[in-house]
Amino acid sequence: MKSPGLRAYAIGYLIFLYAPILLLPIFAFNDSKIIAFPLSGFTTQWFGEMWQDAQLWSALKNSMIISGTTAILATGLGIFAARASTRYTFPAKGGLIGLIMLPLVLPEMIVAMLLLVVFLAISVPLSIFTVILGHVLITTPFSVAILSSAFQSLDKSFEEAAYDLGEGPVSTFRLIILPLVMPGIISSLLICFTISLDEFIIAYFLSGSDTVLSAYIYGQFRFPAKVPAMLALGTILVLVSVMLLSIAEFFRRRGIAKTGGKDTGGFL
Amino acid sequence: MTTTKPTMIEFRDVHKYYGDYHALRGISATIRAGEFFSLLGPSGCGKTTLLRTIAGFEGIDTGVVLIDRKDMARVPANERPTNMVFQSYAIFPHMSVEENVGFGLRRDPRTKTEKQAAVEEALAMVGLKGFGKRAAHALSGGQRQRVALARALILKPKVLLLDEPLSALDKKMREHMQVELIKLQRQVGITFVLVTHDQEEALVMSDRIAVMFDGEIAQLADPETLYRRPNSKKVADFIGTMNFIPATVLGESGGRIEIEAKGLGRVELMAEQCPAGRGDAPMVGLRPETLTLLYPGQTSTERTVAGVIDEVIYFGDMTYYDVYLGGTDVEVRLSMRNVPGRLIMDVGTSVDVAWSPEALVLFR
Repeated sequence: MKSPGLRAYAIGYLIFLYAPILLLPIFAFNDSKIIAFPLSGFTTQWFGEMWQDAQLWSALKNSMIISGTTAILATGLGIFAARASTRYTFPAKGGLIGLIMLPLVLPEMIVAMLLLVVFLAISVPLSIFTVILGHVLITTPFSVAILSSAFQSLDKSFEEAAYDLGEGPVSTFRLIILPLVMPGIISSLLICFTISLDEFIIAYFLSGSDTVLSAYIYGQFRFPAKVPAMLALGTILVLVSVMLLSIAEFFRRRGIAKTGGKDTGGFL
Repeated sequence: MTTTKPTMIEFRDVHKYYGDYHALRGISATIRAGEFFSLLGPSGCGKTTLLRTIAGFEGIDTGVVLIDRKDMARVPANERPTNMVFQSYAIFPHMSVEENVGFGLRRDPRTKTEKQAAVEEALAMVGLKGFGKRAAHALSGGQRQRVALARALILKPKVLLLDEPLSALDKKMREHMQVELIKLQRQVGITFVLVTHDQEEALVMSDRIAVMFDGEIAQLADPETLYRRPNSKKVADFIGTMNFIPATVLGESGGRIEIEAKGLGRVELMAEQCPAGRGDAPMVGLRPETLTLLYPGQTSTERTVAGVIDEVIYFGDMTYYDVYLGGTDVEVRLSMRNVPGRLIMDVGTSVDVAWSPEALVLFR
């Protein structure tokens, strides 16, 4: 960063990016229902109010089920896809991987709309289950991306050595490949979980009468009295998200260090 | 000699294609039991591919690979009586040294204590006693190699395959490990098959060497024959240094061939000095150490030729001289040991060079 112009630009950019997030905790602890400066006083009342909210707990429970299941399913699918794309060659491989990765760039609005139309057409009742299907669709590409890099950095001779020493394909996968890509798997689980937890459009469209957290928060903004409690919730969610992503990155880096590979970049 | 040893591995007209690329072009050879055998050649010559067909990591398109008289066509890698030391060593990074070494014993019916004893024994054999609890990624290159050896040898394979195992080590360590490997091979008596691109390494370590070019075995012989009597210019060029001097064949009679070599004059060669012709322009080959620089006043019982020193290359233990032979444009390189009292000659000095007809090999 030699030029002062670029330095100013970088600082300005970071402020633009993170200042709104900094406002979240500030107003979560502010002793007023109105979100405006000047601050009137310190309180933890909103956190208490949030804690008492039964609907919030039910939405949180739904979201946890959705995000947990999504993370496991997407990562499971990701393992197969990443393994296939890094180790085998087969006809139309590029096209197939492209199709798997496509939801990464498709507008979520379109995905949500189309899924809604399809579910209604084949009369699948909207519920947590349909949200999980939608979330698996959009998180699997992330899982494939993370796990492909994990499988790619795996030296093929590890597998060959295991065969050479008498193991079959299944035990080789269990004893050698799985432990070596485990950091990637953990990282994938955490990132898919976070994405699913934050996701709004699909959750809103496909959840039916089961309220999920993101949709619940959106709904609460209609009531000015509820806004500070939502800011308190938002503060907690930001903390949890940052924590999960940090853990994911920690495991990803540790995995690279462990197998002696070179870091080719990740999500953080 | 080794001729009485039974056959351990046999290749019968083995062909292998990668798409259009013909990687192995009709390999036929036998490797004997208890032999230290090397596959030597430049990169891309098919030596690693051939090694991997023994291990079972590569299938073959036509031909037969037999190990201990059994056809390996339907035997997968994990059931073959071979173990491999990988070029990267492939030490499992998430396991300790003893877990790595004991990995192949997982299906062994022996008790835990017996297995533990076997691991200790294998580690002791490669000089890593007491390293069992170390983490695999905390080892040096030489130690990794020893762990890979112990891990492969603990299963007492019929054949140990070594894929350029020394190429990742520095020169000192490499020379040390060459000797260690020879000793280890004599100790365990297992057939070793080594892949290397380093001709010196192959000469030092092997009982027999197969020199490979372009998916074919160019010559299969013991190190001395390979060095003294290479069967083609290509092999001669690959193994060590050789001077090539244009020659003309004057006549053949009774197993003797008379030639005229540029700068050296007329020479009579024995049949064994003349490998089968390939239709190339005739050349004689001469190793640098078979030529001797005569110092002023020195005489030789060998034939001599006058020359002029064109270049002096000092190597510490040796000095290499490039010498123009007797007013021709033929330049030969010769090597002299730097013994006490022997001066290094200057560029431009006129000298006599002694040589012996027996040292020549004719390529044509």
